[in-house]
Amino acid sequence: MIQLFHVSKYYDRRLALSDVTLEIEKGEFVLLMGPSGAGKSTLLKLLIGAERPEEGQILVQGRSLSKLRSSEIPLLRRKIGVVLQDFRLLPKKTVFDNVSLPLLVQGASTVEIRRKVTDALRSVGLDHKKDLFPPGLSTGEQQRICIARAIVNGPIMLLADEPTGNLDPELTSEIIELFKSINARGTTIIVATHDPNVLAQVNRRVITLDQGKVVSREQVCS
Amino acid sequence: MLVRRLLYLLREAVANVLTNRTTTVVAVATTAFTFACVGVFLLVYVNLKTMAASLEQDIQVMVYLQDDLTEQTRSEIELQLKADRAVGSLTFVSKERALADFQSQFPAESHLLQGLGQNPLPASFVVTLAVESRSSDAMRRWANRAQSIPGVAQVQYNQEWVEALAGIVRYIEVAAIIVGLILSAASVTIIANTIRLALYSRREEIEILGLIGASTTFIRVPYLLEGAALGLLGSALSLVILKAGFELFRHEIRSASRFLGVDALLTFFPFQMCVVLVCVGLFLGCAGSFLSLLRFGEGRA
Repeated sequence: MIQLFHVSKYYDRRLALSDVTLEIEKGEFVLLMGPSGAGKSTLLKLLIGAERPEEGQILVQGRSLSKLRSSEIPLLRRKIGVVLQDFRLLPKKTVFDNVSLPLLVQGASTVEIRRKVTDALRSVGLDHKKDLFPPGLSTGEQQRICIARAIVNGPIMLLADEPTGNLDPELTSEIIELFKSINARGTTIIVATHDPNVLAQVNRRVITLDQGKVVSREQVCS
Repeated sequence: MLVRRLLYLLREAVANVLTNRTTTVVAVATTAFTFACVGVFLLVYVNLKTMAASLEQDIQVMVYLQDDLTEQTRSEIELQLKADRAVGSLTFVSKERALADFQSQFPAESHLLQGLGQNPLPASFVVTLAVESRSSDAMRRWANRAQSIPGVAQVQYNQEWVEALAGIVRYIEVAAIIVGLILSAASVTIIANTIRLALYSRREEIEILGLIGASTTFIRVPYLLEGAALGLLGSALSLVILKAGFELFRHEIRSASRFLGVDALLTFFPFQMCVVLVCVGLFLGCAGSFLSLLRFGEGRA
């Protein structure tokens, strides 16, 4: 599914990733662990084409990202769901409108949008809140809306950057369970986190980064 | 599918305008006054050009006759002029008629002639040249030819005045182009800045759209529509301002009796030109938006 070969990335000569080589299989649930500045977010940005590596090659479903034209990047992103620590929901749009955005940009029909948004909201347990606005929801609910938006178009993989950073331990468990259920349906999940609570609950493969380098590729059986 | 996306983009454009209401109103007003400045030049240019064209149609050559001519000589001159292919039409104005015309046109000054005893005004032929002989050179050649006819005292024509007017029109044309370009650039800058404010206020939304796979076109269209709407509203409002100013000016001219008849010569832009001006506003609005979007660099991240 995802292959990185000797990938390096610099920001103004500052090394963000150094000679990273790794492989993630289809349907895997992988935790990217490491302290702040370890390169976790950079790695996720490379996978969605928001950044380009200075060295090395990245393949997603056998396709080299470095060979993608700018106009092809939106097409890549439509296959990838992204969940961020700060949710990035549009406060002036309803929950339904927020979740329907990825379908809208793909040109889905009204019927398809209604069906898929309802399914996505039901899977995160918030279909009854579709007409509310994000500021009226709790942080846990906002994160679940963000996850619904990420999975609404059936992505091949879901990338989450510190998804539990703003949540208390109870809500963290809820979100992790949600990721597990999404993963159980076949979606590859990569979660970048430095939260040990997540590690304790996930019990899956862990790739640890430090100062831009892969320092361990621990394989944990669930 | 397409309709839904289009509706979404239109809704977003309207939302952009409503979110930045004050900025939008200021931008439309500023754009309108900028376009109105260009419009004033255009209006002066269009009217002077119309007047020049009208005057060219009315160019008349005055062939003044010597005072001591016999009726037969006058008839011979008339026949000679009528036989000339360069002459379109001619009218004889006798000394008595010339005096009567002077007295009716300048009643306050008619006492000046009374002191002279006899009528000092000469008889004349008022000649309108054929269309093909109205060029500057042709008119000068014909005047020289007429001057050499025995019994002709003097030949006068108003070509120089018309040429001077044409020169002024040319200068105004150049000035209108220069001022138009400068003020158009100003309009583009005003709209570009308004759109930039909208882009900054919604940058988070733009980032989200980029993350979920929206194409550059999908992200740009609402802002291009907003710029187009600003340009369109600005140019339409400028036409309203110009029309109001024009009618006020015409009313003032009509009230001042010394410019009697001039107001009838004044014209506003024809409908087609109004449509073109509104379209130019729309295009400049789009250009302003496009510049801002290029600088903002959305959709790349």
